[in-house]
Amino acid sequence: MNQPATAGVTPLDTVPSALLIDAINQLESVLMGKREQIVMAVACLLGRGHLLIEDVPGVGKTTLAHALGATLGLDWTRVQFTSDLLPADVVGVSIFNTQDNSFHFQRGPVFTSIMLADEINRAPPRAQSALLEAMEERQVTVDGATYPLNDEFFVIATQNPTDQLGAFPLPESQLDRFLVGLEIGYPDAVSERALLEQGDKRNKASHLKAILNERELRRLRHYCEDVHLSGPVLDYIQTLLNTTRTSGAGLSPRAGLNLVRLSKAYAVIAQRDHVLPEDVRAVFPALAGHRLTGQVKSGHKLAREILEQVVMP
Amino acid sequence: MDARTLAALAAVLFLVQFPHIFHLPVWVSILGCTLIGLRLWHHYRPDIKLLRLVLSPITVTLIAASTAILLRFDFGYSFGRDPSVAFLFVLVAAKFAEIRRASDATLLLCLAAFLLLTQYFYSQTILAAIFTLPAIVALAFALSILRDSKNPAKNTQQVKLVSKLLLHGLPLAALLFFIFPRLPGPLWSLPEDAMATTGLSDSMSPGSIGSLSQSAAVAFRVEFDGEPPRANQLYWRGPVLTEFDGRNWNTSKSAVETLPQHLPDMGDLVSYTVMLQPHKQRWLFALDAAMSLPQSDSTNIDGQAIHTSTRLLGRLMGDGQLIANKPVSHVLRYRQSSVLSDKMASSKAPADNTLYLPGKNPRTIEFARKLRSSSTSDLDYAQKVLRNFNRDLFRYTLQPQILGDAPVDEFLFQTKAGFCEHYAAAFVVLMRAADIPARVVTGYLGGEMNGDYMIVRQADAHAWAEAYIGGVWQRFDPTGYVAPSRVEQGLSAALPNETAVPGLARYDSGWLRSAQLRWDAMNHHWQRLVVNFDNDSQDKFWDRLGLLNPSLVQLMLIVIALSLAWSMFILGMPSVSNRNLSPNEKLWNRLCRLLHSYHFTRLRNESASEFLQRAALRWPTQKERLIRLDKDFTALRFHRPNNDLPTVARKHIQKEIVLLGCGLSVSRFHRMLRRQPKAGSIDSTSKA
Repeated sequence: MNQPATAGVTPLDTVPSALLIDAINQLESVLMGKREQIVMAVACLLGRGHLLIEDVPGVGKTTLAHALGATLGLDWTRVQFTSDLLPADVVGVSIFNTQDNSFHFQRGPVFTSIMLADEINRAPPRAQSALLEAMEERQVTVDGATYPLNDEFFVIATQNPTDQLGAFPLPESQLDRFLVGLEIGYPDAVSERALLEQGDKRNKASHLKAILNERELRRLRHYCEDVHLSGPVLDYIQTLLNTTRTSGAGLSPRAGLNLVRLSKAYAVIAQRDHVLPEDVRAVFPALAGHRLTGQVKSGHKLAREILEQVVMP
Repeated sequence: MDARTLAALAAVLFLVQFPHIFHLPVWVSILGCTLIGLRLWHHYRPDIKLLRLVLSPITVTLIAASTAILLRFDFGYSFGRDPSVAFLFVLVAAKFAEIRRASDATLLLCLAAFLLLTQYFYSQTILAAIFTLPAIVALAFALSILRDSKNPAKNTQQVKLVSKLLLHGLPLAALLFFIFPRLPGPLWSLPEDAMATTGLSDSMSPGSIGSLSQSAAVAFRVEFDGEPPRANQLYWRGPVLTEFDGRNWNTSKSAVETLPQHLPDMGDLVSYTVMLQPHKQRWLFALDAAMSLPQSDSTNIDGQAIHTSTRLLGRLMGDGQLIANKPVSHVLRYRQSSVLSDKMASSKAPADNTLYLPGKNPRTIEFARKLRSSSTSDLDYAQKVLRNFNRDLFRYTLQPQILGDAPVDEFLFQTKAGFCEHYAAAFVVLMRAADIPARVVTGYLGGEMNGDYMIVRQADAHAWAEAYIGGVWQRFDPTGYVAPSRVEQGLSAALPNETAVPGLARYDSGWLRSAQLRWDAMNHHWQRLVVNFDNDSQDKFWDRLGLLNPSLVQLMLIVIALSLAWSMFILGMPSVSNRNLSPNEKLWNRLCRLLHSYHFTRLRNESASEFLQRAALRWPTQKERLIRLDKDFTALRFHRPNNDLPTVARKHIQKEIVLLGCGLSVSRFHRMLRRQPKAGSIDSTSKA
């Protein structure tokens, strides 16, 4: 059977996703049974967005962040957000140097490729917004001087469900800055048994082999921008956005642009050079959940309801 | 004037002029086409000075004026159909040659539209109508781009749009066709041209009918009210030739008008309707012997007579000829009734000219005298003459030898081979030589049934003789004694070995012939229902609707009301039926409909591939095809666009969908077969 219909498709091997699959497999060996979440995290990374993980303590949020940093071969820092954290603790501080009588900027932990902001909702809003500004602008301004951040700057923020005590919930406007909101959830029975058998993986996570590097990542991100998005899929995305608006809290156009970026990244992971409506449907809850309700868990549910309402192209 | 408009105008002119080329003088056609060619050339090479000079308004005017003078010389007269059409032909081309502005183009299109109509002066057949269709589309197209010359739409799209508009207008045109008031009589009251006549003529010389036998053209068509008569009774009487000059036979100038006369021993009355093709002469045809005067057709399609208006179309002459009021220049439809008889009553004794015998045919005269003296009566003599034709070795042929000064002598005693006119002429000469008044009658013999009507062709032309014996004109057909099959079965049966008989007059050429007969039937109905739709037909139409001759105001109200209704329907239609779907979506919908007909419907938020994968689970035998379809659709809709991919892929998908439909129906059939015996077993288990 000759296949004239598929003649125009870029062969799979030109989609540079073989490394991605390896990376995802390696991540899954650490965070067992959570492939869906891992894929979404990687898609978020490719889509130049930031990742928000929300779940109860102890399900592997930090492990995921560790493993991601190690697997991607990027330098990474970690900041534990506490209630007395100051903005300077995140972005850096100017210190007076007595030897040459001038201020020197001491770079904070944001000057890195991957930054893990642990328990971001335990910090006071001032510290939160310092980080969120850096996320959006990819640069830091301290005492009138502007310092660009690393080009691959990627924040993985974890937060506890906000109904717990001692938390400052992130405002919805700031939640919009996160491309993807994930919840990890408890492991299933098989995975959990394996976990219990093998012991804590956190140590292992920091010793993972780096599969990607900065250059590869840049190439992949560049490739994502070239992924083809056809008319019917664009129509579908627009209808989805519109439906969220008629059902209460709506998604902003920026969210729409992010949805496009994320869908393209997801298509690359699926080894395609074009976006299918299925890609959009797969990433939609992760993208829309935290934006719609301010909470990942309830947001996902609402997003799925919206998906039910919209006819697929 | 931009290139596109110019090209469109040139195309219109070409389509409009093309049908005229066949009947115009060659120099007119060449002049017209050359002017158009020069103008186009000028557009692409505006720098050639000579061209600019030739196409300047003054030169073009001079050309047009000199054409008018040349036409006067060519035709010999200036006011008539042919020179006027030729002049219009050149005028349209000349207008195009000097065209400059858009307003010129509008005028040109009006002229072209008029020129387009003039071809109906020549022919009103279906073919002529079909020929005009592309020209009409081209005209509308030219108008549309003239209106908005910067219109970016592609030509094909524009043509589509224009055709759609024309189609929308079609019902309105049909409506107007039916109810627009007609002039009584033919639409074109043209000054008569010295037009070539066709068919029989008012004179006969040896060979004149023989040459007619080569023509398959239709002379007239007949619809009989009842059963058609037998072939050997179908003597269609035409011109009666009494004047003889020793070689040629001519009609008598001194015939007087009379009324049909009935003889006591005549047969039944046969009524029929004749549709006579224009032959530019005045005679009409009727079966011997005519019992009525030709009347305009006043029966409707059911055959019921409506006594609203009948007009007499001609009169009956003393020699039994029907003469029309004016030359037949368009298809004439008339009612006629006849009694089938070989005798014709005469109110008066025959005139002297029926005995006049000039020329030198001494052997013939001697032979006649001898034979007459040995016969008991005139009738006996006539029978002997006929038997002589039969007994002596006479041959019936379309290619007789050329006869000299004493044609009858040569024919009777030397060549003994001839066509019907030879026999008829010889018979009449033999009669006159024996002092029996006689005359030649020309007309048609036979005809061919085609469905519910009969075709009589030029090839059926025939000549026979009449002699005045016992107070009546008695018909004698000497041809019948030489070649009886000519009378019984027609020309081709009488001339089996001669190839000169036209294909259509033969009875044996298979599918080609039947196709041609069918085409003739179509033309016949076209003529009857469309071209002949005149004042009378309109009255019948109103009569049927129960409205007797509505007034002009009523007509206008009807037209406006129906037009409004139609426009509203057209304007409302697109939203109902013609949703603008891309070809991909149409294909996908087709697939969905196919699966839906098997009660397999796509869920709301199910993607295309999921739907097809589900279908693959339901019909495992079609799994591969469904997966292929899924792949193809995905490629079409979501992949990066590729120039030649979509059309190829769409064709491929179409094929696959058809195959899928076949596969599904087969598997349904299988399941039904399997279910039949199973039904009982399920029943029994449920009971258990």
